[in-house]
Formats: sequence, structure tokens, C-alpha cells
Amino acid sequence: MNTIEQQLWDYIDGNLDEPSKKAIEEKIASDAEIKSQYDDLLKFNLSFEGIDLDEPSMSFTRNVMESVALVPAPVAMKTKVDKKIIYSIGSFFVFSLLALFGYVLYNSNLSMPQFDMNVNFDFNLDQYITPTTVYSFLFADLVIGLIFLDQFLRKKMAQIKKA
Amino acid sequence: MEQKLTDLALIQNVLNGETAQYALLVKRHQRFVFTLALRFSKNREDAEEIAQDCFVKAYRALGTFKQTAKFSTWLYTITYTTAMTFLRKKRLDTSSIHDEGTIIQLENHTSGFSANGYEKQDSHAFLNLAIAQLMPDDAAIITLFYKGEQSLEEIGEALHMESNTIKVKLHRARQRLKEKLQYLLKDEVKELL
Repeated sequence: MNTIEQQLWDYIDGNLDEPSKKAIEEKIASDAEIKSQYDDLLKFNLSFEGIDLDEPSMSFTRNVMESVALVPAPVAMKTKVDKKIIYSIGSFFVFSLLALFGYVLYNSNLSMPQFDMNVNFDFNLDQYITPTTVYSFLFADLVIGLIFLDQFLRKKMAQIKKA
Repeated sequence: MEQKLTDLALIQNVLNGETAQYALLVKRHQRFVFTLALRFSKNREDAEEIAQDCFVKAYRALGTFKQTAKFSTWLYTITYTTAMTFLRKKRLDTSSIHDEGTIIQLENHTSGFSANGYEKQDSHAFLNLAIAQLMPDDAAIITLFYKGEQSLEEIGEALHMESNTIKVKLHRARQRLKEKLQYLLKDEVKELL
């Protein structure tokens, strides 16, 4: 769609590049019909200054601020992403990799006959898996579960309040 | 003389804990957000709810606002998304906002307007009436372009469309607006345009 009207609107809106601008200016100057059409569009374009913006109710700002008061105060993304969290995630992955590496070593029988060296990692893991460690692990799981449940219920409550 | 703080300065203050300053941002943009919401909902009560919801969402997400774009563009994006979600939920009496039936209904509703009865009324009133009768997208684009000081690219960003699509839509919206004005004003349209 590139009718003369479209070109005239592009010219009025300032969307044309220099050559197209000059071309349309020549058309306006040479063709009386196009000139008249251009004047009409210009007049129509000016009438848009009369667009009114509607006013919300008097209590609008107050209502917004009351709703906003229930929401946690916003913080910049930089502040929100605590360095401690990044370090915790990083150390978790490092620890996981080390644990994996240790497990592989434990299960392999590293022997280097050329060096006449026989390395055998023979750990007795059973001594670490005691009822105390199992209970500690389950307790940590329970705490994490409760934190998630708390967050979920808070969100639900907020939704119900909003509704 | 009190110096008017820019949007970005106000946002920074809010993020630094001066949450009461958010009221200044609301006051500054509420008319436009409300008008935009009204363009989509065609109903003052719904528009007020959408606009209010929009400001609350903007407050929640204020920390994620990348200060590379205009705050107004970001806000209008939220308004558009909020309005669409609201209308989808409400489904406007189970018919789409793009449904021709909705437009016909609006046209019938205002068909009682005759040029004679409104001869002496301000031409601006007719223009606003004609805009209100446009399809939501068209009305929003016209409002954003002429009153929101938004470029075609920014409007595209706010309405999730390509800037070229916005350009074509703007052109069509103007044509439709002209037709509406001709319908409303009949012979007097030449005086207005």
C-alpha cells in the first residue's frame, strides 16, 4: 500500500528519507490536486490536537497508593540479586563437582604399574550414614518444604485478598 | 520555584525507599493510562480497574525497569497487556473486542446523534466521540501517536507489533476516523477537516 495519500501522511509524519521527501515536495508543488489533498490532510492532522485525555475518579491516586502499600517495596534488580546468593550457588556447583569427582575416584581402582604405585581409595561410607545424618537430612528437607509452603500460601492469600 | 523531577529520578527515589514518591508518578501518568484503558474497555469502571491494576503491576516490577527506554512506553506496554488480560477474562459479553458486532453495536448506539443537534458543539467533542467509536487498536494507536508523544517504534513496542504494522494501522485508523466524522457531522465535516 503506497498510495499518494499514504505518501502524504508519511511526509506529514516525517517518516520519509531525503530523496522521497524531495519527490513528494515536487509533486505537491506541481500538482494542484495533490496540493489540495495535502492541505486537507494537514488540516485534519491539526485537528488531532483536540484529542482529550479522560480523567479517572478523584480517588484514583489514593486507591493506587493503598493497593501499593500492601505490596513489598520495589528494589533495584542489582540490590535484589544478592552476591551471597551467587556465591552460594557457585559453591554448591563446585562442591557437587568435587563430590562427583571423589565418588569416581572412590569407585575406580587407580593403579599405575609403570610407577609401581597402587592407589586404592577404600573409604567406608557406611560409617557416615548414621541415623543422625539421615534425620538431619530429612529435617533440612522439611524446613525447605515449609518455606515453599509458606510462600505458596502467602501468594494464595494475596490473590484471594485481591479478588 | 520547585523543580519538577523527571520520571527516572522519581523511580530512583522509589527504589531507594521513598515509596510515597510513586504517587507523583501515578498523578503524572494516570490520565493517559486511564484514557488508553478506556480505549480498550469502552467502559469507565473497567478502565479504572485496568489503570489501577496497571500501576500496581508497574510498582511491583519497578526494579526490573531498564532505564534505557522511556518510562511511559514501558507503562503503556503494561497497560496494553493488562487491558488484554482483563478483557480476555471478561470477554466483553462473550464477544471479541475485534468483533464487528461490537462496533456495529457502538454505531447503533450513537446513531441518534445528528449534526443538527450538535451544530454548536465544539469540534473537539466530535473528534473524541469518533475516536471512542473506533476499534480499540485504532483508537489506542491514534491516542499514543498524537497524545502520548510516542514514535511508531515505541507504539510497536507497547502494542507488541512491528513499527511498519503500526504505520499501516495508523493510516487506516485515520481513514476510519475520517469516515466516522463524516457519519457524525455529515456536511459540517468539511469545516472541521
